[in-house]
Amino acid sequence: MASSVTDPDEVVLDHGSGAKLSHELVSLIVDTLGDVYIGEMEDSAMLSIPAGRIAMTTDSFVVDPPFFGNGDIGKIAVCGTVNDLAVVGARPLYLTLGMILETGLPISRLLQVVTSIREMALEAGVQIVCGDTKVVRKGEVDQIYLNTAGIGVFERAPLRMRDVRPGDRVILSGSIGNHTVHLLSIREGLGFEQRVLSDCAPLNGLLDELLASTGEGAVHSVRDVTRGGLAAVLHEYAQASGLTIRVDQDRLPIQFETVMATDMLGINAIHAANEGCLCLFVAPEAEQEVLAALRSHRYGREAVAIGEVTADAEPVVLMRDGDGRDSVIEELQGSELPRLC
Amino acid sequence: MGKIAVLTNDLQGDVVYLTPERTAVIADAQPHYTAFLDEMRRRGHTVYHLQLINLPDDPNANRKADGTLPLQRGTEGAEILPAFLADGDVVVEKNKDSGFYETEMHDLLQAAGVDTVVVTGLQTQICVQTTAADAFFRGYNVWVPSDCVVSDNPADRDRSLTWLSGYCATVADSSEILETLDTKGELPRRVVKTLP
Repeated sequence: MASSVTDPDEVVLDHGSGAKLSHELVSLIVDTLGDVYIGEMEDSAMLSIPAGRIAMTTDSFVVDPPFFGNGDIGKIAVCGTVNDLAVVGARPLYLTLGMILETGLPISRLLQVVTSIREMALEAGVQIVCGDTKVVRKGEVDQIYLNTAGIGVFERAPLRMRDVRPGDRVILSGSIGNHTVHLLSIREGLGFEQRVLSDCAPLNGLLDELLASTGEGAVHSVRDVTRGGLAAVLHEYAQASGLTIRVDQDRLPIQFETVMATDMLGINAIHAANEGCLCLFVAPEAEQEVLAALRSHRYGREAVAIGEVTADAEPVVLMRDGDGRDSVIEELQGSELPRLC
Repeated sequence: MGKIAVLTNDLQGDVVYLTPERTAVIADAQPHYTAFLDEMRRRGHTVYHLQLINLPDDPNANRKADGTLPLQRGTEGAEILPAFLADGDVVVEKNKDSGFYETEMHDLLQAAGVDTVVVTGLQTQICVQTTAADAFFRGYNVWVPSDCVVSDNPADRDRSLTWLSGYCATVADSSEILETLDTKGELPRRVVKTLP
């Protein structure tokens, strides 16, 4: 008969039963989170929040594979949630953590995820305030799925899509496509996984430094470039603003090996998911100031201006090639690349 | 000057006889393909056969229509076809598309002093292409004999050869490769610019 959470050394249904094994598993998770966890094991977290407006977001994570070359699903969960709060101008404070575990998942693998969550939470300056753990039978999930909610506070004016203006410059904080290529390469063993790494990173520090160092009104709006890729972000802004957005193909930051891989796989990097890339819409006179601020941070070294919001009152996205020809970037109906986050 | 190795991909019954089209294209290629392998062996170049083995817990492994997993270790369908095998050849197990992904391949080639690989087999647009790219990333001089790689669909093969030629390999007919060895005593490394 099992006598502790690590005996057996893999997740069993009783770890989700609410009984003794459940409590032991939760204790192990809490111990691994350490001071990142500030919950009191009550049914709800009781939090102090500064007066004023808060930002709140939620996300679920089903990435395949859940463990990859330079990260895992825990890293993606924290970064994805933190970044969603940061891009609207909020300071991320608190995260919840829900876990759905497959029977048979090694406890060591679970703790690897929890350790990643702790490390990313420490880097992002957020705390885990409550959580939940459920266990399902073999095959009902793929090893581990996570769900988070995040709360942030506004210490400056919110950043909104509606604040984008004609003439705004479109800036990317880093290369696109790497996260997708890294994961697809591991899934199939394509050979790119050591050359192309996931860009997954918490970007609240980068944004905080940028917004603190640039003048008020320099940055109009920000979005993290995740599912659907750059194309999806640009289409959202074109629809929200009613304006044409044009980007220059030759200025898109795409790593050479990522170009190789996307060409091999028949996908376009502008549709590829990322986990550590921002798309910023900035006032034209602030372009160089913003680029300099981004490039001074380790997550923004490859920042580059890729295009602009035009004054044309037609909500489309155009790609200008090296010969000056414009073509319309169509919005994809769906994605052939599931489970990238 | 480093040694040259010939790599084959997936010359196994479960792969070759999967579709009539594939069986036919392999049959067409076999005479000159095996002749090239024999000539390379005669010149002292080792042939390494990459043997695809599906792991039972791999969710991405292709299953048969009846749900069973082909290419299981120890089964007849997973064996390298005898027509392509000879004494002195080395069989290296792989579990994914690239012959270098979590395999012994790189260590074996390094131990043998190999710096040039000639990548052959099937399918061109999957295992040959990824193995060649992976070899390129690991610093090998990569050559691909265009008449010793096959695909079910010739258009896939042609597109893949264009990709290989554009990014990371020298693509040439097997007779041209032998002529190059005759005239230059080596397979020259092409200069590839990897950074913008």
